[in-house]
Amino acid sequence: MVLLPDEDGGHGEVSILKAGGSETLVSEPNTRATIDGARPSIHPLGAKGLRPEEASLLGALPPPSKSFTLYFLEGTTEMTADSAPVLDALRAEIASRPGAEVQVTGHTDTVGSESENDALSLKRAEEIRSLLASRGFDLSIMTAVGRGERELKVPTADNVSSPVNRRVEVIVR
Amino acid sequence: MRALALGPLLLLLAATSDSGEIGRIKSSVGTANVERGAASLSASIGQELMPGDWLVTGKDGRMSLTFVDDTRFAVGPDSRIGLKKFEYDPTTQKGSFIAKVERGSIAVVSGRITKSGRSGMQIETPDSVLEPHGTRFIVVVRK
Repeated sequence: MVLLPDEDGGHGEVSILKAGGSETLVSEPNTRATIDGARPSIHPLGAKGLRPEEASLLGALPPPSKSFTLYFLEGTTEMTADSAPVLDALRAEIASRPGAEVQVTGHTDTVGSESENDALSLKRAEEIRSLLASRGFDLSIMTAVGRGERELKVPTADNVSSPVNRRVEVIVR
Repeated sequence: MRALALGPLLLLLAATSDSGEIGRIKSSVGTANVERGAASLSASIGQELMPGDWLVTGKDGRMSLTFVDDTRFAVGPDSRIGLKKFEYDPTTQKGSFIAKVERGSIAVVSGRITKSGRSGMQIETPDSVLEPHGTRFIVVVRK
């Protein structure tokens, strides 16, 4: 097992549990743990670095998912003008990924009742999903859900109009 | 008897989307298959994965995949990787994932499931269990 730094420069840890109940924590990045004896042996990768087959495996990982946010006019499923270029970037991202999946989640601000906002948020998400479908992306790769006013980007009191909360978040994977 | 009765119920609860899809194949090279029950499907780009699937590559094979919690895998040649358990609630972003590396190699970037608590994700190998806590790592099972 080789523990590596994260892509963003941080790093996590890996616990190695053996059948006897022993646990070894590997917490330094760029560390190799060999797990064949009773206890794992742990060494820094050092100047030799990764083996060629390990490096090519790392290079074969799919890219991280990417998110996009589109904003809407109050009470409608109409996107703001500023969101048009974001939609273009979103389309380019989907097109560039083989086997892409697209997760579309609609949100509202707190104007209106909870049930109205559940319905509106879903309509916003479905609007974006069908807009993408009309540009040639297969419906089967795209899901649309509405979260109503449950996940405000910026917390507000009830019945507050908020342009940043009226949004659809799209994750491309 | 109680354990037997619970099995199907847990499976139902685990189905967080209509299809039960947990991830998709993103690339496939050479001999690369998804074994589902008695069926062996050639791994194709965009193919949906289900809990219980086995990812199997030949000496010339590779594949890469993503899961719905943003976990990512690259599977090396001559590998046999089981997706033994995958439960994920996209709303709470919590879940549980157990994969088994019977032979071969994988690179893993862990996803949201590893933030579910200590044992959110487990990778079983022939002589150990690895529990990643939010990280990127490589597992090679030598013959």
